Amino acid sequence: MPITIIVGAAVCVLLAAAPALLSPFLIQFLINFFMLAVLAESWNIIGGFTGYASFGNAGFFGVGAYTTGILLTVGKLPFALALLAGGAVAMAFAALIGTAVLRLKGQYFAIATLGVTETTREIVYNLNITGGGGGLSLPMVRSPLPFFYLMLAVLVAAVLINLWIARSRFGYGLRAIREDEDAAAAMGIPTARYKTLAFALSGGLAGLAGGVFGYWITFLDPGEVFKVSWTIRMIIMAVFGGAGTVLGPLLGSAVLVAIFEGLSTQLETLAELCNGLVVIAVVLFMPQGLIDAIAHRRLSPRKLLQNLRQYRI
Amino acid sequence: MMADAVLFEAKGVTKRFGGLTAVSDVSFALREGEILGLIGPNGSGKTTLVNVLTGATGYSAGNATLNGRALRGLPPHRICGLGIGRTFQVVKPFRSLTVLENVMVGGLFGRDDGGARDVAAARARAAETLALCGLGQHVDSLLAADSLNVPERKRLELARALAMRPRLLFLDEVMAGLNTGEIDEAVTLIKRIRDGGVTLVVIEHVMKAIRSLCDRVVVLYNGAKLTEGPPDQVLHHPDVISAYLGRRYKESKHA
Amino acid sequence: MLSVQVLINGILIGGVYGIMALGMSLIWGVLKIVNVAHGAVVMLGAYFGFWTFTLWGWDPFLALPVTLAVFFVLGYALQRFVLNLIVQAQLFLTLLITFGLGVVMENVARLIWSSDLRQVTPNYQGAHLDLAGLTIPYVRLGVFVTAAVLSVLFLLLLERTRLGRAIRATAQDLRAARLIGVPVAHIYAVTFGLGAALAGAAGVLWGTLFPFTPTMGGPLTLKAFAVNVLGGLGTMMGPLMGGVVLGVIESFASTYLGPTYANVFSFGLLVLVLIVRPTGILGRNT
Repeated sequence: MPITIIVGAAVCVLLAAAPALLSPFLIQFLINFFMLAVLAESWNIIGGFTGYASFGNAGFFGVGAYTTGILLTVGKLPFALALLAGGAVAMAFAALIGTAVLRLKGQYFAIATLGVTETTREIVYNLNITGGGGGLSLPMVRSPLPFFYLMLAVLVAAVLINLWIARSRFGYGLRAIREDEDAAAAMGIPTARYKTLAFALSGGLAGLAGGVFGYWITFLDPGEVFKVSWTIRMIIMAVFGGAGTVLGPLLGSAVLVAIFEGLSTQLETLAELCNGLVVIAVVLFMPQGLIDAIAHRRLSPRKLLQNLRQYRI
Repeated sequence: MMADAVLFEAKGVTKRFGGLTAVSDVSFALREGEILGLIGPNGSGKTTLVNVLTGATGYSAGNATLNGRALRGLPPHRICGLGIGRTFQVVKPFRSLTVLENVMVGGLFGRDDGGARDVAAARARAAETLALCGLGQHVDSLLAADSLNVPERKRLELARALAMRPRLLFLDEVMAGLNTGEIDEAVTLIKRIRDGGVTLVVIEHVMKAIRSLCDRVVVLYNGAKLTEGPPDQVLHHPDVISAYLGRRYKESKHA
Repeated sequence: MLSVQVLINGILIGGVYGIMALGMSLIWGVLKIVNVAHGAVVMLGAYFGFWTFTLWGWDPFLALPVTLAVFFVLGYALQRFVLNLIVQAQLFLTLLITFGLGVVMENVARLIWSSDLRQVTPNYQGAHLDLAGLTIPYVRLGVFVTAAVLSVLFLLLLERTRLGRAIRATAQDLRAARLIGVPVAHIYAVTFGLGAALAGAAGVLWGTLFPFTPTMGGPLTLKAFAVNVLGGLGTMMGPLMGGVVLGVIESFASTYLGPTYANVFSFGLLVLVLIVRPTGILGRNT
């Protein structure tokens, strides 16, 4: 569809020109939005298209952040190289973990990925090269603009990868796996390889976002970087927008980032509290996501109540 | 191609689950273009046999070959890639994909013959396959496969399998739950599939269909092969009758 | 001698892990959902014990019956009015909603009690039993015995009562249970209430052993899960056994490698066991 390409290119050009017109606060806001949108699109590959509810993507985010940070400070590499290496290491880590945990189904997979993230955090906490619990300080860059463009570039890459998945043979394979893995295998889809590749792509994108994030906030601390709430945010943004679609996670993160940023300037605890309430409300009222609700005109109160009833006992 | 060349051969296939032997030392051969019936009472191991032969579960003993290529140990997608397709007794549609997309997956993957690897070509092929299977009205529908009724789901299962361009196709009870008219249509369709060059193994409880379709029938009972032969001969075999209906029925008939 | 002491420490901690895991496994087995908020409920239990102790001077062990009752009601209401609405949905939606509940609980706790470390310190806290050169603190011993007694009581409830039969019937076949007149929505709520009661009690006991903060829930959920995986789901004494195993492993890891390694081992072990033997070490092979 050339229309999407034209619209997409126009949005990119507009966003690229935006920093000249925006206040520093709005620039920071947009960097934050870009990052969470990358994370939502990253989760969408494994959770939305492939149907494997990863609760461990914060781990890849953290691995990317720490790899980039260590290569930048200890390894004295230029940032571009360090960032690419961060993405690559996160991707390789995801592939490695994936070969083991992607054999698990359902809750077992979800909890195993959560366990991997927690284990990784504890290991980072105990290593010397990562600065352990004391954290890792990165060199400071005064202007936010490089981060704005970097995060935007990563987001464009994330959206393009999702777009490719939505239309390619690979993507049909992933969706078939999500719907019925036995049938998918019987129809000739190399399920193990496809799942691992999807997980690696998901991890690589999260790692790239982590790499830019670390340099942007200039300080890495295992408790912050590997926080479970990163994973929850990416899941809820993807699900709220519409998991398994390309635009859904973008839309979901735009709406939810706006809400949370507005709140967190008030009080962080309150923002987190609302985060939890939104998760509950979305699951109850809009389990198929915003995109689906708009497409099928399911936004009326009556329809929302119908959604509420569909899974009750 | 020789009409009676052996395409597929199972030799001593055995599957044990713990202490239970679900399939015991089953051997049979298939010639190119043949339709083989696989019958037996519920629990006789028919579906387990298909699961083993298509790689869904492992062998306990034995092996199978397709054109002389050993299949044991290959994962399901490799076996499918070699040209063995199957349907599932409990149909497994990709529920939230459209009917057309379900069949497209078969075209995009399936047998490794360099078939429709790009999406547009797969779409065109899938539309033809749907028309062949009597689901032409769903080609342009955006409805999810979940909304099909039971006979339509059976047809979709068949259409997906055909889209995989198999050389050998296992049909696991595609006629269960269909009415007489629908069974006749299914029989016609399966004959047409064979005429298109596909060898078939048909698992079925509908004896009328078995009789009109099959060149040969293999009977399984308690996991082992009871007998094998032309349908009319096998279906009147006293052991087969007693396997299906119980010994007392046979005795009362003979008394 | 040190290693015997470490072993005993581990076993005594294992009791709390055991009842935490028993609560989770009850909910998992009957409702078929993994309650990711389970650790957060344990956290609320710890603060409940903290309140009754500091505000009214209740002994934490004597506060247990009230804790069980309060958390049962809380859990019952939560399931009846919120989770019953979603319990039939796809798995990851149920995971997500309990995750959301956990986040809400954590932040409500932060608003009420702040993020400071709290601890419950009854005056017998330092007292201990000296036995052949081994030190056994009375609190730890009391916690273990209480946990074991609670486990047995709950298993008796499930095995010997009419309610227990209804719960087990529902777990085995929801539709059949409904057909024979089991009020399944009520049974679901009761089950969740029982799970929450065990979690609340585990929290009160935990509070007498270690300092706590509102963020303690997440890791505890994982540990409860790990215990269930270790012990094997669906086995009667699995959670208690798994709890003891985890307690001992953690105890050795933190003594010989340093306290920060305890979690590396328990989470690493969880992942490893899931990969190698998804039915659990002590569980039946299917």
